[in-house]
Amino acid sequence: MTHYYNQPQRRKAEFIKPANTLKQKVGHGGLSDEILDKAQKLLEENTHDFEPLAMMYLAALMQGVEMAKGYSPSMDKEQVIANMLYPTMQLKANGGMFHYSLVTMIADKLIQFLEVIEQPDIEVLEIVLAFHTTIIAILQGKISGDGGKQGQDLLNALSDACMRYFDKRPDDKVLGPVKK
Amino acid sequence: MAYDFSDVSVLIVEDNLPMVELIKSLLTAFGIKKISSARDGEEGFTLYRKETFDLVITDWMMKPVDGISLTRRLRNDPLSPNQYVPVILMTGFSEKRRVMQARDVGVTEFLVKPFNARDLYRRIAQIIEKPRQFVRSEDFFGPDRRRKNDKGYGGRERRTEPVMINVRNKMGEA
Repeated sequence: MTHYYNQPQRRKAEFIKPANTLKQKVGHGGLSDEILDKAQKLLEENTHDFEPLAMMYLAALMQGVEMAKGYSPSMDKEQVIANMLYPTMQLKANGGMFHYSLVTMIADKLIQFLEVIEQPDIEVLEIVLAFHTTIIAILQGKISGDGGKQGQDLLNALSDACMRYFDKRPDDKVLGPVKK
Repeated sequence: MAYDFSDVSVLIVEDNLPMVELIKSLLTAFGIKKISSARDGEEGFTLYRKETFDLVITDWMMKPVDGISLTRRLRNDPLSPNQYVPVILMTGFSEKRRVMQARDVGVTEFLVKPFNARDLYRRIAQIIEKPRQFVRSEDFFGPDRRRKNDKGYGGRERRTEPVMINVRNKMGEA
């Protein structure tokens, strides 16, 4: 049998080397650690209030849950899941940028869960609600950073809930349970 | 001798205003002086047509036009003034299939949020020091999607035997 990579190429591709205008403009040498440290400090000392932004994404997540409650096989399943997944991604993306890295860790766990579930069933929605409630509690308690031991405990509890979901569904587990 | 970013122009496309401010402050700290911003892909493309930009940094999830659609337009729309502009796509997604989706529309670099100052700098430095050639084929135009092999690797090759791939099944899954 002929390997597919030994067959003659049917579709030709053109390779283009565009002018490196950025390099021409900036020159050589990179940026010093001093400049990068200064930039990092600006990032770490930003005083933007994450809570209003997070509440907006949490409201969108709740809307996604409400829509999923009415899920029927005639609906677009991936869209129903995406309605919960996208606001969760925003929480993950922005939490750590605005001093709430625990929100990022928890939202990341929920993304991993939503990326592998087969159906947005009632048990999935209960788990999503548990994540939602936890993130609200973190914001109200102003638990910035990783939350220390308390944060780790919360994360473990939510991970365990996801694991239990897959334990009940060995077929789904093959697709990959949530990483712990 | 260090990079001199004073003549570099950057377009940030992001609907989250605090995030725009954060990125602006980082770029300013790097020495970039010409920074413009737009709130979604539509506004971003309109601005891109009016001014000259050396780099576009865009978020993925935006309404009504997201960063993926913007990148597609930057690369393929006849009205795009520079189809080769480097594009850094920011997103909270890090799953492989999402990265591949971004790569397949012509994104140059992928930046996972949350990120730090060095993460952003590394992406910019990568574009400056290791620019990718562009590929134009029947169904793709954008930076070469293949990363060069790391010649420095001196370890054992774990997979030396050719592996038959069931192409039809793989394609069916996609």
